[in-house]
Amino acid sequence: MDYKRDIPLAITFLVGVIAIGDYYTGIEAVTQTFNVIKNWGIVLQGFALGLGAVNLFRVHGRRVSARKEGTDWVFSAVLLIMLAVHIVIGLMTGQYEQGETYNWLYNSIYLPISSTMYSSLAFYMAYGAYKVLRARNFDAALLFITAVLVIIGNTPMFPAIYPGFFHMREWIFGPIVSGAYRGVRIGIGIEAVVLGIKTLIGMETGYLGRR
Amino acid sequence: MSIWEKLTGLPREIVMTLVMISIIIPALNPLGLPLMTGQMSQDWYDAVDALPEGSVILFDIGYGSGGYPSLGPGNIAAFHQMFDKDLKIVIMATALEGTLMYPLVMAGVDPEGNYGAVYGEDYVFIGYVAGTQTAMAGVLGDLHDLVTNDYQGNPISSMPILDDVNGADDIDLVAYVTTSGDIAEGWVYQAYSQYSMDVVGGTLSMMTTSIKPYYDSGQLLGIMDGIKGAADLEFLTGHAGDAIVSSDILTFSQTLVLIFIAVGNISWFMSKKEVKS
Repeated sequence: MDYKRDIPLAITFLVGVIAIGDYYTGIEAVTQTFNVIKNWGIVLQGFALGLGAVNLFRVHGRRVSARKEGTDWVFSAVLLIMLAVHIVIGLMTGQYEQGETYNWLYNSIYLPISSTMYSSLAFYMAYGAYKVLRARNFDAALLFITAVLVIIGNTPMFPAIYPGFFHMREWIFGPIVSGAYRGVRIGIGIEAVVLGIKTLIGMETGYLGRR
Repeated sequence: MSIWEKLTGLPREIVMTLVMISIIIPALNPLGLPLMTGQMSQDWYDAVDALPEGSVILFDIGYGSGGYPSLGPGNIAAFHQMFDKDLKIVIMATALEGTLMYPLVMAGVDPEGNYGAVYGEDYVFIGYVAGTQTAMAGVLGDLHDLVTNDYQGNPISSMPILDDVNGADDIDLVAYVTTSGDIAEGWVYQAYSQYSMDVVGGTLSMMTTSIKPYYDSGQLLGIMDGIKGAADLEFLTGHAGDAIVSSDILTFSQTLVLIFIAVGNISWFMSKKEVKS
């Protein structure tokens, strides 16, 4: 018997059966048991965050100590310093939301940087649209027409002037996009059910990691 | 090089500078361009509006700083409507940074000053709950078993708002605003599929295509579609804010993008024609 393999498989099977039992039977005892398991899962995921922080220290600590050329180790150093600063300030004040210093760090450094990163997409998307959206052939022309109609329908002023633009966008989003997306989702759903059954009966062991 | 060839290959710097100008002008000088309220935002508004006074809403702040410019204004407008209607709001965060978005949003709403709301009686923030869909299932399963303190460390057993809220059966509507596809679809699976609850969701515009099928089938009662949806909600709730200003920016910048697309295509065809001739 391979305990390293069989015990996790048995736990997975047991938890899976309880989850299915909760969904299909609604028996109070099963629901209560599953609630406890869900709470354990949440606690474990909390620990995973701590583990992630430790892993960050390990990976970037190594890069900083090696200081290899072309590895951008300076950014790793910045990351480690900021990680340490946030942890120390968070622990010193014991507060995150109300801590003035912690709040200042977040609102003055991270928030603008993060928002800027996201906002810079606008520039690249505009340039990308200019360079790529060209009706070179039939397929590209279809993409071009759809994109233009969606942009027009999504631009607040145009549908306000002529509501037909909005309905055109809605039509594209409806039968075309939703139809295609539902097909994709149904495919993914069936695959998820198959994967769930395989995991439950021990045929899928990828989640056990490299062995 | 002909004029068409030049227009075909405009340098990145020129395109981006013009985009920047198209953003800055309406940002500095909002024009109040016309706006048509979308049906998805109207349905979100109606779903909340239909709730009787005192109904309980579970609100998930599922975004962080990257999503704040797009989703923050909509979140503020949504809270304005909920506080205005005297609804009870249980706020949680399935995104780690949601806890840091909460004070920013609340600074914009000021529930105590504007609505006389009392923390613990009319609203509560239970903080970040790890695990995304596990967190949703946990909160809807047995809230008191999962969470013992609010985000500030106060025991939730001492909060009147949560006296009668134990799980899904005691919640009238689930609302979420998120940048994560897992959170957006997760609430449909955990709240609608499991408990047949009413759910409304707000996402980035680029994610709308992925959750629209749930709206079409009635699993989502309404969608706040990015900054456009936020502007709609601001308009509907009568609390004009950053989103309405941003809708002017959207109009300017997206019109410019359309112009660039037209220029790119016309110049490409003309230069091709020139080469042929």
